[in-house]
Parts: sequence; C-alpha cells; structure tokens
Amino acid sequence: MNHVNSSDWYNSLRKEFEEKSLSIEKVNRRSEYWRKSNLDILEDFVQDTSQLDLLDLNGTCLYEPDLIINGDILELVGQKSDQVVSIIDVIADEESFAKNYFGRLEEKSQKLIPRPLARDNTLDPKVGYVLSFSDSSEKPLIIHNKTNTSASNLFQRNLMIVDKDVEVTIIETGNNLSVFNTVTEIYLGENAKLNYLDLTGENNIFPKISHKFCDLAEKSSFNHFGLRLNTKATRTEIELHLNGQGINTSVANVSLLNKKSHYSDENVLINHNAYECKSRQVFKSVLENDCTSIVRGKIYVASEAQKTDGYQSSRSLLLNESSKFLCKPELEIYADDVICSHGSTSSSLDRDSLFYLLSRGVHKNKAKEMLITAFISEALDEIEDESIKSALSNYIDIWISSFSDE
Amino acid sequence: MLKIDNLKVSLEEEEKQIIKGLSLTINSGEVHAIMGPNGSGKSTLSSVLAGKAGYTVDSGKVNFDETDLFETEVEERAALGIFMAFQYPIEIPGVGNMNFLRTALNSQRKTRGQEELNAADFLKLVREIAKDLEISDEMMRRPVNVGASGGEKKRNEILQMCLLEPRFVILDETDSGLDVDAMKLVSKGVNKFSSSSRSFLVITHYQRLLNYIVPDFVHIMVDGKIVKTGDKNLALHVEETGYKDFL
Ligand SMILES: Nc1ncnc2c1ncn2[C@@H]1O[C@H](COP(=O)(O)OP(=O)(O)OP(=O)(O)O)[C@@H](O)[C@H]1O
Ligand SMILES: [Mg+2]
Repeated sequence: MNHVNSSDWYNSLRKEFEEKSLSIEKVNRRSEYWRKSNLDILEDFVQDTSQLDLLDLNGTCLYEPDLIINGDILELVGQKSDQVVSIIDVIADEESFAKNYFGRLEEKSQKLIPRPLARDNTLDPKVGYVLSFSDSSEKPLIIHNKTNTSASNLFQRNLMIVDKDVEVTIIETGNNLSVFNTVTEIYLGENAKLNYLDLTGENNIFPKISHKFCDLAEKSSFNHFGLRLNTKATRTEIELHLNGQGINTSVANVSLLNKKSHYSDENVLINHNAYECKSRQVFKSVLENDCTSIVRGKIYVASEAQKTDGYQSSRSLLLNESSKFLCKPELEIYADDVICSHGSTSSSLDRDSLFYLLSRGVHKNKAKEMLITAFISEALDEIEDESIKSALSNYIDIWISSFSDE
Repeated sequence: MLKIDNLKVSLEEEEKQIIKGLSLTINSGEVHAIMGPNGSGKSTLSSVLAGKAGYTVDSGKVNFDETDLFETEVEERAALGIFMAFQYPIEIPGVGNMNFLRTALNSQRKTRGQEELNAADFLKLVREIAKDLEISDEMMRRPVNVGASGGEKKRNEILQMCLLEPRFVILDETDSGLDVDAMKLVSKGVNKFSSSSRSFLVITHYQRLLNYIVPDFVHIMVDGKIVKTGDKNLALHVEETGYKDFL
C-alpha cells in the first residue's frame, strides 16, 4: 500500500524497507540490545490520564519555543532556521533534496544493532520536520513537542542538515500523551557543530522512544545531552558515524528517577571510522523506588581509526535497594594505536560524606541534595555553553529539592 | 557544658566495646586535653559526641547543657554548637567549598531561628578567616578538600570552626600533619577563638601543641577509659616516659 500523497522515491524506499522489516518480538529474544529492556513501554501501555490537567503538561520549559509541533501540526515561531519543511511535504515531493538522505542513516544503523522501532517509523511517519542550517545561530533553537491524547502511536520523523562551518544548538522539550517514537537523521558537514539537548520530564507521561542517527564529516562535532527527570519511560538509541579526521563527540545523560517503576534505557553506539577522533560518553543515574536505568554504550573502532580516544563512564547512585542499574559497556577495537576506557559503578550515598555535611549543620535533605547534585555534575559538565548549563543546573537543583523531600 | 556519665559504646557491626565506662565533665571556658595510645578510643569518643552512625550506646549518658545528646540528630548537635574537627577530613568531589560553607552556616542559623547571611557578608567573613589561616583563594574555590594536602585539610577544619562559631570544639589530632608554622597558625586561630563561654576537647599525641593551646586538664585515656587526670604537667610526663605507667 502506498502512503497517501507520497512520492515515487518514498514509495519505492518504503517497499524495499518493508521487506526487510523487523519484528520487535523476534529481535527481543536475540539481541543484547533488547533482552533486558522492558517492552511494556512499547506496547499495551495503559495510563490513567483522567486525573491530569492536560493544559499543565508543558514540559521542561526553560525557554520559549521556536518550533512547536502540536499533534501533527508544525508551527514555526520566529525565523530561526533557514528552512523548516514538514516531513510529510518532503516525502510527497518528487524533487526534494531529501530523497538522497531520508532513511539512509536508519538503514545503516541496522547493521550492528537491530532497531525495529526505527524501521516502523520509516514506514509510517506521521509528523516531523526537515531542518537545514546554512548559518550559525547564537541562540538555541527550541523545539517543543506537544502531543495530544488522540494520537495512539505517534511516529515523528526528522531530518537535519548542518552545513560546513555552521554551529547550532537545539533544545528539544515538551510532553507526550501517547507513545512517542521519534527518529532524527542528522548530517554534519565539515567543521560543523551540533549541540543537542533532549530534555524530558514528568510531562512525558507515555513512553518516548528517540533515535538519533548521525553522519559526521571531518572536524565536526556532535554533543548530545539527555535529561530524564522522572520521565515515565524512555528508550534512546544514538548511533554516530565518525567518518572524517578530528571529529569530537560527547553523549551525556542524567536520569533522576524516584517515581514508582520509572524507566530509562540509553543505548549509544559510536563508530570510529577515521583517524584521530575523540568520543566521550558520560551517564549518571540516580534511582529510587523500583526505578530502572539501563545503559548500553559501545565504542567501535575500525582498523583505519588510529589515534582514537574513546571514553565512557556510567555511574549510578541507588537511593534504595529496590532500584536497578543495568550497564553494559562494550568495546570492539580493530586498530592498535588507540586509547579507550570505560568504567561503571553503582553505589549508595556515601555515608562518610553525608556525616561530614550533617556534622557541620547542613540539614539532612539539603545534604542529600548536595551529594546528588555533585554526583551528576560530571555529566552536566559535558554541556559546553555556560549559560545553558547554568540554567539547566538551576532547574535541576530546584527539581532535586522536591525530589529529596518525598 | 558537657557531661559524660559512665559511657559505654560498642561497634554496631561487631560485638566489640570501644568506650568502656568513661566519665568526663567539661565546663564553660575550659580546655581539656586527651592523650592516649593508638586505638584507645579517642576518635570513637569524638565521633559518638558528634553523632556518627555505626555505634551502639550500651549504657551511660551525655548531656550538653540540658540536652540529652543521644536524643539529638547530628545536624541539631551542630546547631547547638558542637563541632568536631576531623582527624581525617573527608573529600567531597563535586561540592564546592564555598557553597558547602555557606549552606552549613545558613542551615545552622536557620535551625537556631536566626536570619541567613547574605552572599556579600558571607564572602567578607570567609575571606577574613581564610586570610588569617593563610588559605588561598584557589583552595577556597575547589570542591571540599579535594586535592588538598593533609595540612591544608586540617587548616580547612579550623576555618570551618571559626566560621561556624561553635561553643564546644573537639580537635581530633588537628596537629598531626601540620608543619611547625601551620601549627602556630592554627593555635593562634584557636586561641583567638577561645573565650570564657567556649570549651575545647583537644586530642593529641604531642605535648608540643599544648604549649600553644594550654589545657586546664590533661586526661590519659587507655582502653576506652580515662585512667588518669592531671594538669598540663601530666602531658610533659607522658612525653618523657610514654604510657607504660598507665597500662
Ligand atoms: N568502624 C570501625 N570498625 C572497626 N573497628 C573500629 C571502627 N572504629 C573504631 N574501631 C576500633 O576501635 C578502636 C579505637 O579506635 P579509635 O579510632 O577510636 O582510636 P584512637 O584512640 O583515635 O587511635 P589513634 O590514636 O590511632 O587515632 C581501634 O581498635 C579501632 O580499630
Ligand atoms: Mg584517632
């Protein structure tokens, strides 16, 4: 069946991909990347929304939005990027430049890790945008997702092209009131830089599955920061292809979860394909009350990727015994002149540090907050922009004070 | 001010009594020194007074003025004016020293129903104290004790004492690890700080410190008990003959 109003190129791509489509159930039994994941987040997700004031569910609104995606309507406030086109228009356009990009990175990302949900998304995008940047922008572009309850399973599909020497920062926030599956394919030109902050909070009351697949040209840089502030359930899949010399990347995530059985599932694959590239991964999870955090971070180093510098650290702070931190760092290295390290720890609040603070008169909740803030600071330090970092730190600090009061 | 009455304390994890019937009364304005062999329970006594977890009080009582210490939380003890300078100060990565000091001071003030100190007044106060103790700005900007040398950590403890203005101070081997100049500096800080309404419990292995901070009483602690009490001359005696007379 052809997609309504779609172009020939999209229809043929769709046909080709459909034949190679993957079933989540089959994948789950085979793949390390799914085995321990909670698939309830994907299907049969039941949530009582009758008690909620839906208008209140704004999301982590640190900034005024520039691009609002309201259900399936795209609304651009102000003129932030050169070009924002709806993905639905793009796949209907026979002549769209996007036909050379769309689906390519999704396909490539299936090579080492099966990603059935990304494939579902390719076959049936409902909403999304194509953003191309040919000029740097001082201010971040704020993308605000607003989903409404009517959409049962929302597939958002995005494409981002950042030209040579262009630097942009994108902050994605908002809510989701249905299962939300988003795939963003990103192309970074030579010496381009993309800072991406994916902020989720309690307003994402349904599972959010985000995929980001990114091709990087030489000397480019991609920095991703994820925040999960009592987000019901998230699964994040990030795959980066470092294809040119001197690329710098950082992927960091902070999960603060203390509401019953909340869940975050972070999956990162960094493909070092070129000489002298640097990648960092920093994950921090603070868990209480039967919450689960999963981190699977893999560094792949091809034989030609000499002088690779890969760093990965995943740490969790377990505030009670019922929470779980599942961590699977992986290295696959075919070059001999590389530095790759990974470390992972799970611990409870340090009693001696706590005593030291209390013995100086700091109140118990405040002391706990200070230690939690200290614990996540390494991940926040991955954010380069000082003003964004401090705005976000303040926001999180305020949030943590309510977190430790409960 | 502080009255310890036949105190017996064991470790929570194992059945081992460390403090075995210790009594001690410290009045306002007095300086008491405790000396004793390694492992006799001096740090355990300080920790119990400060409220550290991990100990079981088998019997005995400790009153601070009218307050039963064992009914009082750690942070409340601090607000009442009890301060212990740690034998081994903790490093806390990620917590800025200034943020820590300001939070500590204002938390105590809040507990006591006093107004919080604003940022400017706080900064001025802390800078003055740091200058007296020759603690650098760079040190103040670091996370709590991170990367500090043994002696710098000890100076930091004294800075905290001067800032928080407690009424009862335990110095647990504050002199260990200090060079001669730093010891004079710290003693000067302590002496400047002492008054008729403040009391000190000074734990040390070296009589030398007691030349600078002169004690009214010297106690010898052996195996969880005070076995001898005297004046400052007792410290001189110990320095010469060791503890063999008391074992
Ligand atoms: N948490 C603990 N676990 C096990 N043993 C402990 C613990 N705390 C204290 N002890 C033991 O209790 C005894 C007293 O220790 P404490 O640190 O109070 O001695 P001290 O008099 O301060 O010695 P020093 O002069 O070496 O500082 C020692 O035998 C020590 O090993
Ligand atoms: Mg000791």
